[in-house]
Amino acid sequence: MNNKRVLAALAASAAGLLLSACGGGGGDAGSGPVSLTVWTGFTGGDRPGYEQIVKDFTAAHPDIKVTMTVQPWDTIQQKLPSAWLTGQGPDIAAPSSDPNAIAQYVKTNSVLALTATGAGDDKINTDQFAPALVKEFTYNDKLYAVPANYATLSLYYNKKLFAAAGIGKPPATVAELQQDAAKLTTGGRYGLVLADNNTIQMWPVLQWLSGGDIVGADNCSVLSTPAGVASLQPWVDLVKNRKISPVGLTGAEADSIFSAGKAAMEINGPWAAPGYKSAGIDLGIATVPAGASGQPVTLGSTAPLAVSAKTKHPAQAQQFLAYWTSRTAQLKFSLSTGFPPLRTDLAGDAQLKADPTVSVFAGQVPNAKLYLPQVPNATQVDTDAYVPLIQKITRDGDVAGGTAAAAKQIDELTGCGK
Amino acid sequence: MGPSLLILGVFVLWPIVRSLWYSLHDWTVGAAEQPWAGLGNYTKLLGDEQFRRALANTLIITAASTAVLVAVGLGLALALTSENVVTRVIRSAFFFPTVISLTTVGMVWRFLLDPDIGLVGGVTNALGLGAVNWLQSTALALPTVIFVNVWKNAGFVMIVLVAGLKAIPGEYYEAAALDGARRAQLLRYVTLPALRPTLLFVTFIVTIQSLQLFDLVYVMTGGGPLFHTDTLVTKLYRDGFVNYRTGYAAATSWVLFIVVVLVSALQLRIFRYNDAD
Repeated sequence: MNNKRVLAALAASAAGLLLSACGGGGGDAGSGPVSLTVWTGFTGGDRPGYEQIVKDFTAAHPDIKVTMTVQPWDTIQQKLPSAWLTGQGPDIAAPSSDPNAIAQYVKTNSVLALTATGAGDDKINTDQFAPALVKEFTYNDKLYAVPANYATLSLYYNKKLFAAAGIGKPPATVAELQQDAAKLTTGGRYGLVLADNNTIQMWPVLQWLSGGDIVGADNCSVLSTPAGVASLQPWVDLVKNRKISPVGLTGAEADSIFSAGKAAMEINGPWAAPGYKSAGIDLGIATVPAGASGQPVTLGSTAPLAVSAKTKHPAQAQQFLAYWTSRTAQLKFSLSTGFPPLRTDLAGDAQLKADPTVSVFAGQVPNAKLYLPQVPNATQVDTDAYVPLIQKITRDGDVAGGTAAAAKQIDELTGCGK
Repeated sequence: MGPSLLILGVFVLWPIVRSLWYSLHDWTVGAAEQPWAGLGNYTKLLGDEQFRRALANTLIITAASTAVLVAVGLGLALALTSENVVTRVIRSAFFFPTVISLTTVGMVWRFLLDPDIGLVGGVTNALGLGAVNWLQSTALALPTVIFVNVWKNAGFVMIVLVAGLKAIPGEYYEAAALDGARRAQLLRYVTLPALRPTLLFVTFIVTIQSLQLFDLVYVMTGGGPLFHTDTLVTKLYRDGFVNYRTGYAAATSWVLFIVVVLVSALQLRIFRYNDAD
């Protein structure tokens, strides 16, 4: 063959490859079972619970084959936007557990508006979800995702360290939490270990407990208001002066400190319990103490499960979401993972109430608040303003100065007042 | 010629042109509209405190890493040029970190430096100095990252310079010795001039590597604490892949490109490349 022929053959095979690659995003369209692919980032101790949902769905629906790929969240975050835009990637994905994560995909028309809602097992029972979750995934009156899970945060405590400090029970009020955190900081151990980056958010819980918040209903920052400053000051003092926690920890680092018995308390979600138990911690799990106002409050966290706008099987994909969020699947999932059910009709379930772990997390669902719900540029508010603020004030102690600068930055990001 | 031009065009030239195009827009991956921004992204960078810090950090890392690496590498190369079992073993030991990926190096050092569970903290505690939080201190984090970057690459610089030293003809030294040159004079007037092309090569390589430093920082500190180790590449990664501000990230990458060109030109001048032969 001469050079031109070689080139022509190469060009033809390259074109073939490109065309076959472009035909992805949904598996086969011919006879036989429909194939659905799912990407999620559930790499933690709760992973078997999700895998069981997939297994049970496939067993109950022989005409639909679901393959779930579990990969780190940041990997999904990098690949999914362009994959979905070009018709590649999975039929269904949990894009990220970041606040307001689905907004980006709605903006780029990459996600399918879910229409298979209503009553019955084969429909997505949105009327049974916690209202805050439906609101979080609704844009322009259309629902774009279902919650893949709904976790609340509880107070984990090390009973052995509590006993050694002569403290008989976990704190019930924010004042007791602060006193205990200081008292338990002794002998190279930390009273309340706090992560501030790459973590489930712990600092907003502390702020809410002490009567403050990050962003108000109009998307304007309330960090630098007197209430905002007052909600951070006592915690900053405890971290900076009383050393109740190291600064700058990631979630994984904070967890390992608690697992090693070097911290007496940590605010964390249900996924952490198996690891702490296997690390041999004499573990207690209590509800987060009541806030300064006397009202209990904690963080609610959810990961969205959404369908590609370019899937070839929108009906089957929604059928899968309906099953994932169904009463049967959620009951089994909660019992195996300790997560509270994302459905309100399971709140009174006797089996869940009898489970010591689930009952603590589930009991806090009515008091749970989402982090930066539907706030524009929420991810950037977190990475560029809130996380740096916490890292700064826990080092230099200048809460008033730090919050003023962060509030200005947040207002620019959220378009406050526009 | 044809296929290689095609590959170069598709995988190198086209992405470069596209990134320039992105940088001139308020580009968001997949958005229906990509508004024209002109030089807006570039002017926004000037007022972006995170960008200024990332640029400063990148230049500090590059200057410090390159200076220390060349000095340490040259010292090691001069000490270990001779061929015997001992020098071979020591050279291998110094070269070993070079073959490990930067990600692995970062993770290992992160564990070693952890104040609660790390070996370094254990040693300083045993000496009564207390455990230092190397990677969470705004004063120490950047020097620590530079140290690990030097530790990782010193072996590479040493090996290249050893090869350069071995290529210097022995007659030069003999002639200089006949003229009565002393050890320091040999180094100054024979070794260093003859080594100039090799020094230029390693300086180029480590400079460009340092300007593009990402993996080590991403793994060790994530750019923290408080952006004190943030580099241009970790920032553009965050803008482009976490916050999906593609146009803004592309503008950052063009600034990095210009920095690389300027620094390289400066090096050519310092080494008087044109009359290096």
